[in-house]
Amino acid sequence: MTHPLCPNCAHSVSFEHVYVEHDGVRILDDISASIPRGECTAIVGPNGAGKTTMVLVLLNEISFRGTVTFHGYAEQRPRVGYVPQSLSFDRGMPLTVLEFMAAFHQKKPLCFGITRAQRERLIPLLEKTACSHLANRPLGALSGGELQRVMLSAALSQEPELLILDEPSSGIDFKGGEVCCELLDRFRKEKNFTQLMITHDLSTVAAHATHVICLNRRIIAEGNPHRILTPEVLAATFGPHRGVPAPGAIPGTGENCQAPCCGGKK
Amino acid sequence: MELGFVSFLCELIGKAIPLECMQMRFMQEAMLGLILVAPMAAVAGTQVVNFRMAFFSDAIGHSAFAGVAFGLLFAISPNLTMPLLAVIVGLGIMAVKQRSGLSTDTIIGVFFSAVVASGLAVVSRYPQAARDMQMFLYGDILTISDQEIAALFGLLAVFLLFQGFAFNKLICIGLNLQLAKAHRIKVMIYQYLFAALLSLIVIFSVKAVGVLLVTAMLITPAAAARNLASSYGRMLWISVIVSIVCAIAGLLLSAQEWLRTAAGATIVICACLVFCISLIFRRHFRS
Repeated sequence: MTHPLCPNCAHSVSFEHVYVEHDGVRILDDISASIPRGECTAIVGPNGAGKTTMVLVLLNEISFRGTVTFHGYAEQRPRVGYVPQSLSFDRGMPLTVLEFMAAFHQKKPLCFGITRAQRERLIPLLEKTACSHLANRPLGALSGGELQRVMLSAALSQEPELLILDEPSSGIDFKGGEVCCELLDRFRKEKNFTQLMITHDLSTVAAHATHVICLNRRIIAEGNPHRILTPEVLAATFGPHRGVPAPGAIPGTGENCQAPCCGGKK
Repeated sequence: MELGFVSFLCELIGKAIPLECMQMRFMQEAMLGLILVAPMAAVAGTQVVNFRMAFFSDAIGHSAFAGVAFGLLFAISPNLTMPLLAVIVGLGIMAVKQRSGLSTDTIIGVFFSAVVASGLAVVSRYPQAARDMQMFLYGDILTISDQEIAALFGLLAVFLLFQGFAFNKLICIGLNLQLAKAHRIKVMIYQYLFAALLSLIVIFSVKAVGVLLVTAMLITPAAAARNLASSYGRMLWISVIVSIVCAIAGLLLSAQEWLRTAAGATIVICACLVFCISLIFRRHFRS
């Protein structure tokens, strides 16, 4: 997939010989990898493998040795949309979904209300992720899946060129027949952004990722998930007892996701 | 030294509240001081709750102890050493937090101990200083000077200006640092500015209610508002109203012949009562 600014760029981001050390401990060791443009890349690895550190390198939030190059963006760095694993807030805080969304874009302090222009812009975004009915609900009253979709709406409101998802929930929250992963697949195709997700859920990777980076402080393997997720690679990444789950398997339930994106029928 | 505009406002307060106790100049000044401190404490309080910084404000409050001690030690006015030390401690906590891998609680705990120990060391060396310390433990709004009121006006103006452009960004920072950074918010600048302004508000609140109750002055109206509000915007306004009403009611009650209690403690008791009512409201109406 090419980009108008850089027709020959197949990659959105490339890491070259990246090292990260913290207090004398090497967290990332000679990382050379690339993130294909317009596709869904998954970084997989066990806890402590350096997945989040790799994203922090990408966001320039941590000091590192080596080179990270962004290809073909109008500004030096792409516009990044970020969906965190969780939000750190007191669940009793009465911050509504709409206030949460507006806080990132509105200049006028929220205590004076949300402007009509912001409402008109944000409600359709919530509709896209099937969350418009949650607009006036407090953030703390949402389920995990609802919160994930609201955070996705907030990230999409940035009109990102690179969307980063930290441990997105997969296939657990059904609403109108769509799950989070399906929404993401659709948006990526519509908006042509590059998607990067950190996960250790291999069923999501097998069903949705078009490119996978297996990481355990160093790159174990990189490429098409169906080609590289072999028992040997998984053993080297996670340890010897990890098998390849069926595409669309819902973690921990033994059931298969029935959403169209996972091969089910609507 | 009396300031013209302060005298004018005091006279206005005297006319607006035609109670006998409010015809005395020191009561009018105390009321004016509280009306200025209370809304700032309320707004900062909602953000302290949002940022989970109650322990931070407690440490800043206790820095007043060392501030007074150093003032006495070096023969400098505590009105200067207290805010100065508070800002140094506030920014110091933020700086160490940014640069070390230690948890925020641990860092605040170390600063907290350092300021209290410094205060105690001076008091133990100069026992006569203990007398001056008392008013900082319990608060002494009745002795607020015109200059302090003028400083409060200045702080209120700066604080409102800061909130004007930082209010929404502080919400984002409180929710998730990486998310705020991804939205290109200059997180560090806002955190330092907020810490500095919060430190100054805490110090003026110490004057109002004392070191022991300063956290209550910040947290209780915000906690009550949280029980009553259905949105963050409303929570802020309810918190401001609760804070001002409790400050006025507390001061007036404390001056009554039948009560004669410390103003700071009475203000905090009023806020706690409102909190209890809000809790009942939440249980019966919002559930």
